[in-house]
Amino acid sequence: MKMEKENIIGLKVAAIENRKKILRMIFKAHSGHLGGSLSIIDILTAIYALDVDFAAQERSRVILSKGHAVPAQYAVLNSLGIVKDEELDTLRQINSRLQGHPCITKLKEIDATTGLLGQGLSQGIGMALAKKINGDNHRVYVIVGDGEMNEGQIWEALMQSAHYSLDNLILIVDRNKLCLSGEVDKVMSIGDITSKIKAFGWNVQQIDGHNMEQIVNALHTAQIPLGKPNAIICNTIKGKGVSFMENQIQWHSATLSENQYKQALIELEQQERDVFQ
Amino acid sequence: MKITIETVSLRDHVTEVLEKSLDDRIIVLDSDLSKSTGTSIFATRYPHRYIECGISEASAISIATGLAIEGKIPFYVGFSLFAICSAWTQLRMACYANANIKLIGTHPGIDNGYDGASHHANEDIALARSLPNMKIMVPASLQEFEAAIDLAIKTCGPVYIRCARDEIPPIPMSEQLLWGKSEIIYDNGNDYALIFEGTATKAAIEGFEILKRKGYLGKLINIRSIKPLDIDLIRKISTEVSVLLTVENHSVIGGLGGAVAESLASLSHHAPVIYVGIADIFTESGPTAELKSAYGISGEHVADSIIDFIGEKIG
Repeated sequence: MKMEKENIIGLKVAAIENRKKILRMIFKAHSGHLGGSLSIIDILTAIYALDVDFAAQERSRVILSKGHAVPAQYAVLNSLGIVKDEELDTLRQINSRLQGHPCITKLKEIDATTGLLGQGLSQGIGMALAKKINGDNHRVYVIVGDGEMNEGQIWEALMQSAHYSLDNLILIVDRNKLCLSGEVDKVMSIGDITSKIKAFGWNVQQIDGHNMEQIVNALHTAQIPLGKPNAIICNTIKGKGVSFMENQIQWHSATLSENQYKQALIELEQQERDVFQ
Repeated sequence: MKITIETVSLRDHVTEVLEKSLDDRIIVLDSDLSKSTGTSIFATRYPHRYIECGISEASAISIATGLAIEGKIPFYVGFSLFAICSAWTQLRMACYANANIKLIGTHPGIDNGYDGASHHANEDIALARSLPNMKIMVPASLQEFEAAIDLAIKTCGPVYIRCARDEIPPIPMSEQLLWGKSEIIYDNGNDYALIFEGTATKAAIEGFEILKRKGYLGKLINIRSIKPLDIDLIRKISTEVSVLLTVENHSVIGGLGGAVAESLASLSHHAPVIYVGIADIFTESGPTAELKSAYGISGEHVADSIIDFIGEKIG
């Protein structure tokens, strides 16, 4: 399925706008995970735009298993009018719906309470099974980090998803290659992740997780039910979009100075102009 | 008043009780234990509402959470050790989400005698009780088990039902089962109050009978709901009797005894609390009945505990 060129441009601009919101939230909060939020924002923006209709009674769901990247989810929910503009400044503060990690009892549109790594894919199985039982033909998206793949529960869930032929379950692996302490493959190598997931009985695509055309095509492919769960390995850059944050582990979780914040916004505004070139 | 006439292993009735509920939102989850928990019968009768998760308790609890978010009422049935203790952080996240999941733990305490300490669940109440949103019922009869399942289905949020594997003797049940309400089964006097949880019913009843024969007149209280706890009744009784004895098939740390003590500690005046349960040790293999005697969950030990505290009655 080909998407109109202007829609791709619209998604690119939306993702940059969402990047600005992530920076704003974490700048104001003096706390939060920038690197991993910026690496997933392109695919997250696309998933919500293409396949989540909050007005519908039955809809697709999005589970952010790498819950520390929740500023990205709040940014998208803000763009959809679910999180108010002024609320963005309450991230990680008392009396806010915007908890440090996703909490469904605070913000029901978040779809799952996560934060302890490794648990989201299993929750996705539960939802995907329930949708099959209910005859609801929507999808369940689960976003995990590559470092999170070190969690054993992920592999339990990979097995179970294939066992139940959950072709309504779409796993997004944010392959930004960095975790808190350094390079994922040095901290604990996950090896050839594509072959491993395929060997568990999944369909696997591998894309540039910052290329909107590839993202849209991969999502459309994954939405076609072919009897197997679908994984999209997104090769991404931690801190993507802000030059001094890209591939730098110190931006996993960090605070921004005012100058850094301004510099980051200048870069993103330039990128926004470049989209229309 | 309904009275059961024979001893019963609640574990043998899991499917029968679940299928009495006609609620088709119920989904049963298993981790390769269905032959031991009795849900294999449910699997045969309702294959479309049964999910085998394989030997992966952590994922099973999270799958249950996902099912609940989509509107199902998942019942994860497993040994208490696996249902509560193996995947505690997954359970904790389910509770944080206030997910409408139900857990039935069979083989609680040392009910899984022969398998030994690795499989004895002497910490499940402690682990479950400390989780916000979690509610815990400890039924002491088949009728209470049925009522507990019914109540769990009507209750939105996580519920743990402790389901005895060992035989339970008949006890009278007259009052409706409610959250936070215990039942005084016998009220013969104020020498002592004996408060027990369902899977220690046999030791409690036998101890109560021994004490009665020896002239000690007390109260026998079936706690039923461990969380929320019947704090009002416990506090009231604590001002009437000479001593409270808790009886549980669980560690004396963090279980029923701990909960009762917590509810009284802030009061200036209350009867002392003493405990019958598993000491702070790892147990060993053996036939369940013999193990219970060896570790003090017996009528004799219950009676001795009260007599040691109060002193011999003369005449």
